[in-house]
Amino acid sequence: MMVERDSSATEQARGEDPEARRKATPGVPTGIEGLDFILDGGIPAGQPTLLRGGPGSGKTAIALTFFCYGLGQGEPSVLATFDESPEALTRHAEALGFPLRQYLDQGQGRILDMRPDRSELIAGEALELTALLARIGHALDALGANRLVLDAIDGMDESFRLDNSLRAELTRVFEWIRERDTTTLITSGEETDFSRRYGLEEYIADCVILLKQELKQRRMTRLLRILKRRGGGHGTNEFPFLLDQEGVFLSPVTGTRLEARPSSERHSTGIAGLDTMLGGGGPYRGSALMLSGQSGTGKTTFAAAFADAACRAGDQVLYLSFEEATEELLRNQRSVGLELSEHLEPHGSGRLVFEPLLAVELGWEEHLLRVMRAVQSQQPAVVVLDPASALGDPSEDQQGKEMLLRLFYMLKRQGVTVLATELLPDYSGGVSTMDVSSIIDVWIKLIRAEDDGNLHRLLNLVKARGLPTSDEIQEFYLTADGVRITEPSRKGRQY
Amino acid sequence: MSEQPVLRLYIAGRTPAADRAIRNLEELLKDAYGDEASYDLEVVDILERPQLAEDERILATPVVIKKLPPPVRRVVGDLSEREKVLVGLDLQDS
Repeated sequence: MMVERDSSATEQARGEDPEARRKATPGVPTGIEGLDFILDGGIPAGQPTLLRGGPGSGKTAIALTFFCYGLGQGEPSVLATFDESPEALTRHAEALGFPLRQYLDQGQGRILDMRPDRSELIAGEALELTALLARIGHALDALGANRLVLDAIDGMDESFRLDNSLRAELTRVFEWIRERDTTTLITSGEETDFSRRYGLEEYIADCVILLKQELKQRRMTRLLRILKRRGGGHGTNEFPFLLDQEGVFLSPVTGTRLEARPSSERHSTGIAGLDTMLGGGGPYRGSALMLSGQSGTGKTTFAAAFADAACRAGDQVLYLSFEEATEELLRNQRSVGLELSEHLEPHGSGRLVFEPLLAVELGWEEHLLRVMRAVQSQQPAVVVLDPASALGDPSEDQQGKEMLLRLFYMLKRQGVTVLATELLPDYSGGVSTMDVSSIIDVWIKLIRAEDDGNLHRLLNLVKARGLPTSDEIQEFYLTADGVRITEPSRKGRQY
Repeated sequence: MSEQPVLRLYIAGRTPAADRAIRNLEELLKDAYGDEASYDLEVVDILERPQLAEDERILATPVVIKKLPPPVRRVVGDLSEREKVLVGLDLQDS
Protein backbone atom coordinates (compact mmCIF):
# COMPACT_ATOMS: atom_id res chain seq x y z
CA MET A 1 0.00 0.00 0.00
CA MET A 2 1.27 3.42 -0.83
CA VAL A 3 0.95 4.75 2.67
CA GLU A 4 2.79 1.93 4.35
CA ARG A 5 6.40 2.47 5.10
CA ASP A 6 9.02 0.68 3.19
CA SER A 7 11.03 0.22 6.33
CA SER A 8 13.97 -1.59 4.81
CA ALA A 9 14.66 1.17 2.34
CA THR A 10 14.27 3.71 5.09
CA GLU A 11 16.63 1.92 7.41
CA GLN A 12 19.14 1.71 4.66
CA ALA A 13 18.89 5.40 3.93
CA ARG A 14 19.09 6.22 7.61
CA GLY A 15 22.05 3.91 8.02
CA GLU A 16 24.23 6.34 6.10
CA ASP A 17 25.44 9.44 7.77
CA PRO A 18 22.27 11.55 7.60
CA GLU A 19 24.27 14.75 7.20
CA ALA A 20 26.16 13.30 4.27
CA ARG A 21 22.92 12.19 2.71
CA ARG A 22 21.44 15.64 3.09
CA LYS A 23 24.52 17.41 1.84
CA ALA A 24 23.97 15.83 -1.50
CA THR A 25 20.42 17.20 -1.68
CA PRO A 26 20.02 19.08 -4.94
CA GLY A 27 17.61 21.95 -5.27
CA VAL A 28 14.36 21.78 -7.22
CA PRO A 29 13.67 25.11 -8.93
CA THR A 30 10.64 27.05 -7.71
CA GLY A 31 10.43 29.09 -10.90
CA ILE A 32 11.32 32.26 -9.00
CA GLU A 33 14.81 32.93 -10.24
CA GLY A 34 16.00 35.07 -7.36
CA LEU A 35 14.67 32.61 -4.79
CA ASP A 36 16.29 29.66 -6.53
CA PHE A 37 19.52 31.62 -6.56
CA ILE A 38 19.57 32.24 -2.82
CA LEU A 39 18.47 28.64 -2.19
CA ASP A 40 21.37 27.29 -4.19
CA GLY A 41 19.20 25.91 -6.95
CA GLY A 42 15.82 25.60 -5.30
CA ILE A 43 14.05 23.86 -2.43
CA PRO A 44 15.56 20.56 -1.32
CA ALA A 45 14.62 17.66 -3.59
CA GLY A 46 12.51 14.93 -2.07
CA GLN A 47 12.01 16.81 1.18
CA PRO A 48 9.42 19.00 2.87
CA THR A 49 9.95 22.78 2.83
CA LEU A 50 7.88 25.06 5.03
CA LEU A 51 6.88 28.50 3.76
CA ARG A 52 5.49 30.60 6.59
CA GLY A 53 3.94 34.04 6.45
CA GLY A 54 1.01 36.14 7.62
CA PRO A 55 -2.10 36.91 5.60
CA GLY A 56 -1.28 38.60 2.29
CA SER A 57 2.44 37.94 2.61
CA GLY A 58 2.51 36.11 -0.73
CA LYS A 59 2.90 32.51 0.37
CA THR A 60 0.11 31.16 -1.81
CA ALA A 61 1.47 33.09 -4.81
CA ILE A 62 4.89 31.53 -4.29
CA ALA A 63 3.35 28.08 -3.80
CA LEU A 64 1.29 28.49 -6.98
CA THR A 65 4.38 29.61 -8.87
CA PHE A 66 6.22 26.48 -7.71
CA PHE A 67 3.23 24.34 -8.74
CA CYS A 68 2.67 25.98 -12.12
CA TYR A 69 6.36 26.23 -12.94
CA GLY A 70 6.58 22.46 -12.56
CA LEU A 71 3.54 21.96 -14.78
CA GLY A 72 4.97 24.35 -17.36
CA GLN A 73 8.12 22.22 -17.44
CA GLY A 74 6.03 19.14 -18.16
CA GLU A 75 6.39 17.86 -14.59
CA PRO A 76 3.14 16.39 -13.26
CA SER A 77 2.33 18.10 -9.96
CA VAL A 78 -0.23 17.88 -7.19
CA LEU A 79 -1.57 20.62 -4.93
CA ALA A 80 -3.60 19.92 -1.81
CA THR A 81 -5.49 22.92 -0.47
CA PHE A 82 -6.60 23.26 3.14
CA ASP A 83 -8.03 26.74 2.92
CA GLU A 84 -8.97 28.25 -0.44
CA SER A 85 -11.19 26.42 -2.90
CA PRO A 86 -9.58 24.80 -5.95
CA GLU A 87 -11.47 27.29 -8.12
CA ALA A 88 -10.17 30.30 -6.18
CA LEU A 89 -6.62 28.97 -6.45
CA THR A 90 -6.99 28.40 -10.18
CA ARG A 91 -8.14 31.99 -10.65
CA HIS A 92 -5.29 33.22 -8.47
CA ALA A 93 -2.76 31.35 -10.63
CA GLU A 94 -4.34 32.72 -13.80
CA ALA A 95 -4.07 36.24 -12.37
CA LEU A 96 -0.35 35.59 -11.95
CA GLY A 97 -0.18 34.66 -15.63
CA PHE A 98 -0.14 30.86 -15.43
CA PRO A 99 -2.51 28.82 -17.64
CA LEU A 100 -3.39 26.58 -14.71
CA ARG A 101 -6.88 25.70 -15.90
CA GLN A 102 -5.38 24.37 -19.09
CA TYR A 103 -2.82 22.27 -17.20
CA LEU A 104 -5.61 20.84 -15.04
CA ASP A 105 -7.83 20.09 -18.03
CA GLN A 106 -4.97 18.29 -19.71
CA GLY A 107 -4.68 16.10 -16.62
CA GLN A 108 -1.09 17.12 -15.94
CA GLY A 109 -1.89 18.57 -12.57
CA ARG A 110 -4.44 17.97 -9.88
CA ILE A 111 -5.81 20.08 -7.03
CA LEU A 112 -7.08 18.11 -4.07
CA ASP A 113 -9.71 19.77 -1.92
CA MET A 114 -8.62 19.18 1.68
CA ARG A 115 -10.80 21.82 3.23
CA PRO A 116 -12.33 20.56 6.45
CA ASP A 117 -16.00 19.81 6.46
CA ARG A 118 -17.32 22.23 9.04
CA SER A 119 -20.36 20.14 9.80
CA GLU A 120 -18.22 17.18 10.71
CA LEU A 121 -18.51 16.19 14.34
CA ILE A 122 -15.74 14.59 16.35
CA ALA A 123 -16.83 11.72 18.60
CA GLY A 124 -13.99 9.96 20.32
CA GLU A 125 -10.25 9.97 20.14
CA ALA A 126 -7.62 8.66 17.79
CA LEU A 127 -7.86 10.55 14.56
CA GLU A 128 -5.55 9.36 11.86
CA LEU A 129 -4.39 11.34 8.85
CA THR A 130 -3.79 8.23 6.82
CA ALA A 131 -6.74 9.16 4.61
CA LEU A 132 -5.09 12.43 3.73
CA LEU A 133 -1.90 10.64 2.80
CA ALA A 134 -3.83 8.02 0.88
CA ARG A 135 -5.53 10.72 -1.19
CA ILE A 136 -2.31 12.58 -1.89
CA GLY A 137 -0.48 9.35 -2.58
CA HIS A 138 -3.22 8.22 -4.92
CA ALA A 139 -3.01 11.47 -6.91
CA LEU A 140 0.79 11.43 -7.01
CA ASP A 141 0.76 7.83 -8.23
CA ALA A 142 -1.97 8.43 -10.78
CA LEU A 143 -0.01 11.30 -12.36
CA GLY A 144 3.47 10.03 -11.68
CA ALA A 145 4.05 13.33 -9.89
CA ASN A 146 6.99 14.25 -7.74
CA ARG A 147 6.19 17.88 -7.04
CA LEU A 148 3.69 18.59 -4.28
CA VAL A 149 2.20 21.64 -2.60
CA LEU A 150 0.26 21.57 0.66
CA ASP A 151 -1.31 25.00 0.83
CA ALA A 152 -2.38 26.44 4.18
CA ILE A 153 -1.74 23.33 6.22
CA ASP A 154 -2.71 25.28 9.33
CA GLY A 155 -6.27 25.02 8.04
CA MET A 156 -6.16 21.53 9.49
CA ASP A 157 -5.93 22.93 12.97
CA GLU A 158 -9.50 24.07 12.78
CA SER A 159 -10.85 20.62 12.18
CA PHE A 160 -8.69 18.79 14.68
CA ARG A 161 -8.10 21.37 17.33
CA LEU A 162 -9.13 19.10 20.14
CA ASP A 163 -7.03 16.19 19.17
CA ASN A 164 -3.66 15.87 20.80
CA SER A 165 -2.51 13.23 18.37
CA LEU A 166 -2.20 15.84 15.61
CA ARG A 167 1.45 16.51 16.30
CA ALA A 168 2.35 12.86 15.93
CA GLU A 169 0.20 12.62 12.82
CA LEU A 170 1.82 15.69 11.25
CA THR A 171 5.24 14.27 11.97
CA ARG A 172 4.10 11.18 10.14
CA VAL A 173 2.97 13.27 7.15
CA PHE A 174 6.43 14.87 6.88
CA GLU A 175 8.15 11.52 7.31
CA TRP A 176 5.95 10.09 4.59
CA ILE A 177 6.90 12.93 2.24
CA ARG A 178 10.57 12.17 2.78
CA GLU A 179 10.09 8.48 2.29
CA ARG A 180 8.17 9.04 -0.91
CA ASP A 181 10.99 11.31 -2.03
CA THR A 182 8.49 13.97 -3.06
CA THR A 183 9.65 17.57 -3.26
CA THR A 184 7.03 19.37 -1.20
CA LEU A 185 6.28 22.99 -0.44
CA ILE A 186 4.04 23.46 2.58
CA THR A 187 2.59 26.84 3.41
CA SER A 188 1.39 27.87 6.83
CA GLY A 189 0.01 31.07 8.29
CA GLU A 190 1.11 32.95 11.36
CA GLU A 191 -2.14 33.57 13.15
CA THR A 192 -2.57 30.31 14.94
CA ASP A 193 1.09 29.78 15.68
CA PHE A 194 0.52 26.45 14.04
CA SER A 195 3.98 25.62 12.79
CA ARG A 196 5.66 26.37 16.10
CA ARG A 197 3.09 24.60 18.21
CA TYR A 198 3.50 21.42 16.28
CA GLY A 199 7.25 21.71 15.97
CA LEU A 200 7.19 21.85 12.18
CA GLU A 201 10.02 24.35 11.97
CA GLU A 202 12.42 23.14 14.57
CA TYR A 203 12.21 19.45 13.97
CA ILE A 204 10.25 18.47 10.95
CA ALA A 205 10.92 20.70 7.95
CA ASP A 206 14.22 20.54 6.10
CA CYS A 207 13.94 24.03 4.77
CA VAL A 208 12.06 26.98 6.25
CA ILE A 209 11.28 30.19 4.39
CA LEU A 210 9.78 33.14 6.20
CA LEU A 211 7.75 35.90 4.54
CA LYS A 212 6.81 39.17 6.09
CA GLN A 213 5.64 42.64 5.28
CA GLU A 214 7.28 45.66 6.76
CA LEU A 215 6.28 49.26 6.82
CA LYS A 216 9.32 51.40 6.06
CA GLN A 217 8.97 55.12 5.71
CA ARG A 218 5.24 54.66 5.25
CA ARG A 219 5.78 52.21 2.40
CA MET A 220 5.03 48.53 2.46
CA THR A 221 7.89 46.23 1.59
CA ARG A 222 7.62 42.48 1.17
CA LEU A 223 10.53 40.56 2.59
CA LEU A 224 11.69 36.98 2.37
CA ARG A 225 14.20 35.23 4.56
CA ILE A 226 15.56 31.69 4.58
CA LEU A 227 15.56 30.49 8.18
CA LYS A 228 16.91 27.05 7.53
CA ARG A 229 18.12 24.89 4.69
CA ARG A 230 19.54 21.51 5.57
CA GLY A 231 22.11 20.16 3.20
CA GLY A 232 22.69 23.39 1.33
CA GLY A 233 23.89 26.89 1.68
CA HIS A 234 21.57 29.83 1.89
CA GLY A 235 21.76 33.56 2.28
CA THR A 236 20.83 34.88 5.69
CA ASN A 237 19.67 38.31 4.64
CA GLU A 238 16.16 39.55 4.20
CA PHE A 239 15.37 39.92 0.54
CA PRO A 240 12.75 42.35 -0.70
CA PHE A 241 10.49 40.99 -3.40
CA LEU A 242 7.71 42.09 -5.74
CA LEU A 243 4.32 40.48 -6.01
CA ASP A 244 1.93 41.75 -8.66
CA GLN A 245 0.12 40.65 -11.79
CA GLU A 246 3.47 39.80 -13.36
CA GLY A 247 4.11 37.30 -10.62
CA VAL A 248 6.71 36.99 -7.90
CA PHE A 249 10.05 38.66 -8.50
CA LEU A 250 13.02 38.50 -6.20
CA SER A 251 16.14 40.23 -7.39
CA PRO A 252 18.95 37.82 -8.08
CA VAL A 253 21.78 38.55 -5.74
CA THR A 254 24.90 39.41 -7.62
CA GLY A 255 27.36 39.53 -4.79
CA THR A 256 30.56 41.31 -5.60
CA ARG A 257 31.82 39.20 -8.48
CA LEU A 258 31.90 40.96 -11.77
CA GLU A 259 31.53 38.51 -14.56
CA ALA A 260 31.12 40.51 -17.73
CA ARG A 261 34.18 40.46 -19.93
CA PRO A 262 35.40 43.99 -20.34
CA SER A 263 34.63 45.16 -23.82
CA SER A 264 36.86 47.26 -26.00
CA GLU A 265 33.93 48.34 -28.14
CA ARG A 266 32.78 51.90 -27.74
CA HIS A 267 29.42 53.67 -27.71
CA SER A 268 29.06 57.09 -29.20
CA THR A 269 27.53 59.52 -26.72
CA GLY A 270 25.72 61.20 -29.59
CA ILE A 271 27.61 64.40 -28.82
CA ALA A 272 30.67 64.83 -31.00
CA GLY A 273 32.54 67.04 -28.56
CA LEU A 274 31.99 64.63 -25.71
CA ASP A 275 33.21 61.67 -27.72
CA THR A 276 36.35 63.65 -28.42
CA MET A 277 36.83 64.33 -24.72
CA LEU A 278 36.56 60.58 -24.12
CA GLY A 279 39.41 59.81 -26.45
CA GLY A 280 37.43 59.94 -29.64
CA GLY A 281 35.25 56.88 -29.49
CA GLY A 282 32.99 57.47 -26.54
CA PRO A 283 32.66 55.24 -23.48
CA TYR A 284 33.22 51.49 -23.48
CA ARG A 285 30.32 49.15 -23.97
CA GLY A 286 29.23 47.67 -20.65
CA SER A 287 30.52 50.54 -18.56
CA ALA A 288 28.63 52.62 -16.01
CA LEU A 289 28.26 56.34 -16.62
CA MET A 290 26.98 58.98 -14.32
CA LEU A 291 25.99 62.50 -15.21
CA SER A 292 25.64 64.72 -12.18
CA GLY A 293 24.34 68.23 -12.22
CA GLN A 294 22.01 70.75 -10.72
CA SER A 295 18.62 71.46 -12.09
CA GLY A 296 18.61 72.92 -15.60
CA THR A 297 22.10 71.79 -16.57
CA GLY A 298 20.85 69.57 -19.40
CA LYS A 299 21.30 66.12 -17.90
CA THR A 300 18.28 64.68 -19.65
CA THR A 301 19.44 66.10 -22.98
CA PHE A 302 22.77 64.29 -22.63
CA ALA A 303 20.95 61.10 -21.64
CA ALA A 304 18.52 61.39 -24.55
CA ALA A 305 21.34 62.06 -27.02
CA PHE A 306 23.12 58.97 -25.77
CA ALA A 307 19.95 56.86 -26.10
CA ASP A 308 19.39 58.21 -29.61
CA ALA A 309 22.96 57.40 -30.69
CA ALA A 310 22.72 53.88 -29.27
CA CYS A 311 19.45 53.24 -31.14
CA ARG A 312 21.04 54.50 -34.33
CA ALA A 313 23.92 52.08 -33.77
CA GLY A 314 21.33 49.27 -33.60
CA ASP A 315 21.30 48.77 -29.83
CA GLN A 316 18.26 48.10 -27.71
CA VAL A 317 17.77 50.83 -25.12
CA LEU A 318 15.63 50.80 -22.00
CA TYR A 319 14.99 54.34 -20.83
CA LEU A 320 13.61 54.57 -17.32
CA SER A 321 12.28 58.01 -16.65
CA PHE A 322 11.52 58.78 -13.03
CA GLU A 323 10.38 62.35 -13.41
CA GLU A 324 9.09 62.99 -16.91
CA ALA A 325 6.26 61.26 -18.69
CA THR A 326 6.94 59.96 -22.20
CA GLU A 327 5.21 62.75 -24.11
CA GLU A 328 6.83 65.37 -21.94
CA LEU A 329 10.29 64.02 -22.56
CA LEU A 330 9.74 63.64 -26.31
CA ARG A 331 8.50 67.20 -26.57
CA ASN A 332 11.33 68.64 -24.48
CA GLN A 333 14.00 66.86 -26.50
CA ARG A 334 12.48 68.02 -29.79
CA SER A 335 13.49 71.53 -28.76
CA VAL A 336 17.15 70.49 -28.96
CA GLY A 337 16.68 68.69 -32.25
CA LEU A 338 16.21 65.14 -31.00
CA GLU A 339 13.35 63.11 -32.44
CA LEU A 340 13.22 60.07 -30.22
CA SER A 341 9.83 58.90 -31.45
CA GLU A 342 11.43 57.33 -34.51
CA HIS A 343 12.89 54.68 -32.21
CA LEU A 344 9.59 54.01 -30.47
CA GLU A 345 6.88 51.55 -31.37
CA PRO A 346 4.41 51.42 -33.03
CA HIS A 347 5.70 53.76 -35.75
CA GLY A 348 9.41 53.60 -35.12
CA SER A 349 12.04 50.89 -34.94
CA GLY A 350 11.14 49.77 -31.43
CA ARG A 351 14.78 49.93 -30.34
CA LEU A 352 13.86 52.34 -27.60
CA VAL A 353 11.61 51.24 -24.78
CA PHE A 354 10.49 54.06 -22.61
CA GLU A 355 9.28 53.31 -19.14
CA PRO A 356 8.09 56.14 -17.00
CA LEU A 357 8.19 55.09 -13.35
CA LEU A 358 6.52 58.01 -11.79
CA ALA A 359 4.65 56.47 -8.94
CA VAL A 360 5.95 58.29 -5.93
CA GLU A 361 4.26 55.89 -3.57
CA LEU A 362 6.67 53.14 -4.49
CA GLY A 363 9.47 52.41 -2.10
CA TRP A 364 13.11 52.10 -3.06
CA GLU A 365 13.08 48.37 -3.16
CA GLU A 366 10.01 48.18 -5.27
CA HIS A 367 11.38 50.73 -7.73
CA LEU A 368 14.64 48.90 -8.13
CA LEU A 369 13.02 45.50 -8.37
CA ARG A 370 10.84 46.84 -11.17
CA VAL A 371 13.92 48.12 -12.96
CA MET A 372 15.65 44.77 -12.59
CA ARG A 373 12.62 42.92 -13.83
CA ALA A 374 12.31 45.20 -16.87
CA VAL A 375 16.00 44.64 -17.63
CA GLN A 376 15.60 40.88 -17.33
CA SER A 377 12.61 40.69 -19.58
CA GLN A 378 13.85 43.12 -22.27
CA GLN A 379 17.56 42.37 -22.30
CA PRO A 380 18.62 45.84 -23.44
CA ALA A 381 22.21 46.77 -24.34
CA VAL A 382 21.82 50.18 -22.73
CA VAL A 383 19.83 51.24 -19.69
CA VAL A 384 19.22 54.88 -18.84
CA LEU A 385 18.13 55.84 -15.34
CA ASP A 386 16.94 59.43 -15.42
CA PRO A 387 17.39 60.56 -12.73
CA ALA A 388 18.69 57.75 -10.57
CA SER A 389 18.64 60.14 -7.64
CA ALA A 390 14.84 60.05 -7.79
CA LEU A 391 15.04 56.56 -6.38
CA GLY A 392 15.48 58.09 -2.96
CA ASP A 393 17.86 60.05 -0.88
CA PRO A 394 20.63 57.61 -0.13
CA SER A 395 22.00 59.76 2.66
CA GLU A 396 18.88 58.96 4.64
CA ASP A 397 18.53 55.40 3.59
CA GLN A 398 21.56 53.17 3.58
CA GLN A 399 19.59 50.34 2.04
CA GLY A 400 18.70 52.52 -0.92
CA LYS A 401 22.33 53.04 -1.77
CA GLU A 402 23.02 49.34 -1.44
CA MET A 403 20.16 48.52 -3.75
CA LEU A 404 21.40 51.00 -6.33
CA LEU A 405 24.87 49.50 -6.13
CA ARG A 406 23.33 46.09 -6.55
CA LEU A 407 21.49 47.29 -9.64
CA PHE A 408 24.69 48.69 -11.12
CA TYR A 409 26.49 45.42 -10.36
CA MET A 410 23.72 43.40 -11.93
CA LEU A 411 23.77 45.51 -15.09
CA LYS A 412 27.55 45.41 -15.31
CA ARG A 413 27.61 41.68 -14.80
CA GLN A 414 25.28 41.27 -17.71
CA GLY A 415 27.41 43.55 -19.83
CA VAL A 416 24.73 46.24 -20.02
CA THR A 417 25.85 49.83 -20.43
CA VAL A 418 24.17 52.02 -17.85
CA LEU A 419 23.81 55.77 -17.89
CA ALA A 420 22.48 57.31 -14.71
CA THR A 421 21.78 60.96 -14.19
CA GLU A 422 21.97 62.51 -10.77
CA LEU A 423 20.20 65.66 -9.78
CA LEU A 424 22.44 67.62 -7.45
CA PRO A 425 20.37 69.70 -5.07
CA ASP A 426 21.33 73.36 -4.93
CA TYR A 427 22.47 72.99 -1.33
CA SER A 428 24.84 70.18 -2.24
CA GLY A 429 27.52 72.57 -3.41
CA GLY A 430 28.01 70.36 -6.43
CA VAL A 431 28.97 67.33 -4.33
CA SER A 432 27.44 64.02 -5.25
CA THR A 433 25.14 62.53 -2.62
CA MET A 434 24.76 59.17 -4.32
CA ASP A 435 28.11 57.86 -3.17
CA VAL A 436 28.27 55.15 -5.78
CA SER A 437 31.47 56.39 -7.37
CA SER A 438 33.31 53.13 -6.79
CA ILE A 439 31.22 51.46 -9.47
CA ILE A 440 31.12 54.38 -11.91
CA ASP A 441 33.50 54.23 -14.87
CA VAL A 442 32.73 57.57 -16.41
CA TRP A 443 31.61 60.47 -14.28
CA ILE A 444 30.63 63.74 -15.88
CA LYS A 445 29.64 66.76 -13.88
CA LEU A 446 27.51 69.46 -15.47
CA ILE A 447 27.84 72.88 -13.90
CA ARG A 448 25.78 76.03 -14.12
CA ALA A 449 27.76 79.23 -13.75
CA GLU A 450 26.54 82.77 -13.85
CA ASP A 451 28.62 85.80 -14.47
CA ASP A 452 28.01 89.25 -15.88
CA GLY A 453 24.35 88.35 -16.30
CA ASN A 454 25.24 85.42 -18.53
CA LEU A 455 24.54 81.77 -17.89
CA HIS A 456 27.34 79.38 -18.76
CA ARG A 457 26.96 75.66 -18.86
CA LEU A 458 30.16 73.81 -18.15
CA LEU A 459 31.17 70.22 -18.36
CA ASN A 460 33.74 68.57 -16.15
CA LEU A 461 34.89 65.07 -16.96
CA VAL A 462 35.71 63.99 -13.42
CA LYS A 463 36.63 60.42 -14.16
CA ALA A 464 36.88 58.10 -17.13
CA ARG A 465 38.38 54.71 -16.39
CA GLY A 466 40.58 53.30 -19.11
CA LEU A 467 40.06 56.20 -21.46
CA PRO A 468 42.34 59.04 -22.47
CA THR A 469 40.57 62.07 -21.15
CA SER A 470 40.68 65.75 -21.46
CA ASP A 471 41.28 67.36 -18.11
CA GLU A 472 39.92 70.70 -19.15
CA ILE A 473 36.55 71.98 -18.19
CA GLN A 474 34.58 72.60 -21.36
CA GLU A 475 31.69 74.88 -22.03
CA PHE A 476 28.61 73.61 -23.79
CA TYR A 477 25.48 75.03 -25.35
CA LEU A 478 22.05 73.54 -25.74
CA THR A 479 21.15 74.47 -29.30
CA ALA A 480 18.30 73.60 -31.63
CA ASP A 481 20.70 71.06 -33.15
CA GLY A 482 21.64 69.44 -29.88
CA VAL A 483 24.52 69.83 -27.49
CA ARG A 484 27.55 71.71 -28.76
CA ILE A 485 30.77 71.59 -26.77
CA THR A 486 33.42 74.25 -27.13
CA GLU A 487 36.50 75.48 -25.41
CA PRO A 488 35.57 77.54 -22.37
CA SER A 489 35.02 81.16 -23.19
CA ARG A 490 37.37 82.25 -20.43
CA LYS A 491 40.34 80.47 -19.04
CA GLY A 492 41.48 80.28 -15.49
CA ARG A 493 38.12 80.40 -13.84
CA GLN A 494 37.61 78.45 -10.59
CA TYR A 495 34.71 76.07 -10.38
CA MET B 1 -38.10 0.16 3.66
CA SER B 2 -37.73 3.78 2.75
CA GLU B 3 -36.49 4.85 6.18
CA GLN B 4 -33.67 2.35 6.26
CA PRO B 5 -30.52 4.28 7.11
CA VAL B 6 -27.53 3.94 4.77
CA LEU B 7 -24.13 4.41 6.39
CA ARG B 8 -20.55 4.14 5.22
CA LEU B 9 -17.72 3.77 7.66
CA TYR B 10 -14.40 4.72 6.15
CA ILE B 11 -11.26 3.37 7.74
CA ALA B 12 -7.63 3.44 6.69
CA GLY B 13 -6.34 -0.02 7.36
CA ARG B 14 -7.22 -2.23 10.28
CA THR B 15 -5.90 0.00 13.02
CA PRO B 16 -7.01 -0.31 16.65
CA ALA B 17 -9.06 2.88 16.20
CA ALA B 18 -10.71 1.39 13.11
CA ASP B 19 -11.62 -1.78 15.00
CA ARG B 20 -13.06 0.23 17.88
CA ALA B 21 -15.06 2.40 15.49
CA ILE B 22 -16.52 -0.67 13.75
CA ARG B 23 -17.45 -2.26 17.07
CA ASN B 24 -18.91 0.94 18.52
CA LEU B 25 -20.95 1.68 15.44
CA GLU B 26 -22.33 -1.84 15.07
CA GLU B 27 -23.39 -1.91 18.71
CA LEU B 28 -25.03 1.43 18.45
CA LEU B 29 -26.94 0.55 15.30
CA LYS B 30 -28.01 -2.79 16.71
CA ASP B 31 -29.38 -1.04 19.77
CA ALA B 32 -31.14 1.57 17.67
CA TYR B 33 -32.53 -0.59 14.88
CA GLY B 34 -32.49 -4.15 16.09
CA ASP B 35 -31.22 -6.64 13.57
CA GLU B 36 -28.70 -6.01 10.81
CA ALA B 37 -31.32 -6.21 8.08
CA SER B 38 -32.88 -2.95 9.14
CA TYR B 39 -29.88 -0.79 8.29
CA ASP B 40 -27.27 -0.69 5.56
CA LEU B 41 -23.71 -0.36 6.84
CA GLU B 42 -20.65 -0.85 4.71
CA VAL B 43 -17.10 -0.57 5.95
CA VAL B 44 -14.75 0.87 3.31
CA ASP B 45 -11.00 0.64 3.63
CA ILE B 46 -9.69 3.69 1.78
CA LEU B 47 -6.26 2.15 1.49
CA GLU B 48 -7.87 -0.21 -0.95
CA ARG B 49 -10.08 2.39 -2.57
CA PRO B 50 -8.31 5.77 -2.30
CA GLN B 51 -10.50 7.31 -4.99
CA LEU B 52 -13.48 7.00 -2.63
CA ALA B 53 -11.58 9.01 -0.03
CA GLU B 54 -11.05 11.65 -2.70
CA ASP B 55 -14.69 11.63 -3.77
CA GLU B 56 -15.88 11.96 -0.18
CA ARG B 57 -13.16 14.49 0.67
CA ILE B 58 -12.09 12.53 3.69
CA LEU B 59 -9.27 13.99 5.77
CA ALA B 60 -9.25 11.90 8.90
CA THR B 61 -10.41 8.40 9.72
CA PRO B 62 -12.28 6.58 11.04
CA VAL B 63 -15.25 8.54 9.75
CA VAL B 64 -18.84 7.47 9.39
CA ILE B 65 -21.04 9.13 6.81
CA LYS B 66 -24.79 8.78 6.97
CA LYS B 67 -25.92 8.96 3.36
CA LEU B 68 -29.63 8.35 3.92
CA PRO B 69 -32.00 9.54 5.08
CA PRO B 70 -31.02 13.15 4.40
CA PRO B 71 -29.36 15.28 5.54
CA VAL B 72 -25.95 13.76 5.03
CA ARG B 73 -24.04 13.69 8.31
CA ARG B 74 -20.44 12.87 9.18
CA VAL B 75 -18.87 11.89 12.47
CA VAL B 76 -15.17 11.33 12.83
CA GLY B 77 -13.22 9.46 15.53
CA ASP B 78 -13.42 6.03 17.10
CA LEU B 79 -17.10 6.69 17.88
CA SER B 80 -16.62 5.93 21.57
CA GLU B 81 -18.88 8.79 22.63
CA ARG B 82 -22.21 7.18 21.91
CA GLU B 83 -24.46 10.17 22.58
CA LYS B 84 -22.39 12.41 20.34
CA VAL B 85 -22.52 9.86 17.55
CA LEU B 86 -26.30 9.59 17.75
CA VAL B 87 -26.72 13.35 17.72
CA GLY B 88 -24.10 13.81 15.07
CA LEU B 89 -25.65 11.27 12.73
CA ASP B 90 -29.14 12.45 13.55
CA LEU B 91 -30.29 8.94 14.44
CA GLN B 92 -32.97 8.30 17.02
CA ASP B 93 -32.00 6.26 20.05
CA SER B 94 -34.63 3.72 20.95
